[in-house]
Amino acid sequence: MPPVSLKRLTWIFVRVGNLTFGGGDPTMAALQSELVVTRRWLSAEQYALIYALARITPGTNLVAFSAAAAWQILGWLAAMLAVVAMTVPPSVAVVLLTSGYQAFNSNPLAMAAIGGTLAAASGMMATAAWQLLRPEVRVGRRLRAAVIFLASLGASLGFSMSPIAVLGIAAVVGMVWRAPE
Amino acid sequence: MNILLIYLLLLKATATSFSGLTSIPVVRHDFVENRHVLTDRQLNAAVTAGRTAPGANGLYIVSVGYFVAGIPGACAGCLAVMTPAFLIIPMLRYLGARAAQPAVKSAIQCVMIAASGLVVSTTVPLARDALISPLAIGIAVGSFLFLVLTRKDTIWVVLGSAAAGLLGRLL
Repeated sequence: MPPVSLKRLTWIFVRVGNLTFGGGDPTMAALQSELVVTRRWLSAEQYALIYALARITPGTNLVAFSAAAAWQILGWLAAMLAVVAMTVPPSVAVVLLTSGYQAFNSNPLAMAAIGGTLAAASGMMATAAWQLLRPEVRVGRRLRAAVIFLASLGASLGFSMSPIAVLGIAAVVGMVWRAPE
Repeated sequence: MNILLIYLLLLKATATSFSGLTSIPVVRHDFVENRHVLTDRQLNAAVTAGRTAPGANGLYIVSVGYFVAGIPGACAGCLAVMTPAFLIIPMLRYLGARAAQPAVKSAIQCVMIAASGLVVSTTVPLARDALISPLAIGIAVGSFLFLVLTRKDTIWVVLGSAAAGLLGRLL
């Protein structure tokens, strides 16, 4: 097991954060392999706690996860470097992809290709919704999941209720309406 | 548009959501509906850029900032993604034990379900703008099925959908 250092730890976040596609879950799985299995800089229990807390931390789960994992291993400076490593280089890629979209806006062939990716974005968002819902679609929880899902969809689409209000009401409902484990 | 205001609005979106794309409803409400500085098509493109790049899907916020105000807007977006992440550290120190309490756990589960409904509600107007042909509808359905059934990287969906769109135009 290599000894932990700020340089080694930051490099892992740079490498995993900028070479793993598919969003937070695959990237956190790759970090688990690097930090827990290969190097043992985090225990499985620490990983599980950080993963759970990242889910309830406002913002992007993966960035919060990286901050907490690095903080747990080497403190505040490591947390700040991990957050920078996980956000700045991919942000440059996002800007390049976005500026490419603007540059090709007047080219019919490029727009046809971009139109295909924009259609795919709807499918991707539906996938994201399903991945959020899926853990709650199981025996004993389906009624609660259906009621809250449809109520939030209706409140947003039918009554233009603010997303923050919808989420706040859902949290209060969750405290009262508990599903079996 | 003032950069500080862009940062604060994007921070509001990221700080009130619990995963990358669940901030979309807030972003759309503030930038598309209220201030008219972003179109649904640009928001769609931002989501695609965020999901195509490596790392967190929530980085679509950077693209939103770029559409609204160029490079300074992208920087504001990047900072808005970074800022709430540090909230996890005091949570890890002091609130970790409480996450297992039944009431808190149940509240989180219900917030995730509601977030799913919100993502679907945001998908509807975006899909109305993007799904304008049978091919586009086929691409959207195919993308959904591919991601749900195979768990492959999103990059394959993006490359495949771009190729399908291009072929549709050429043929």
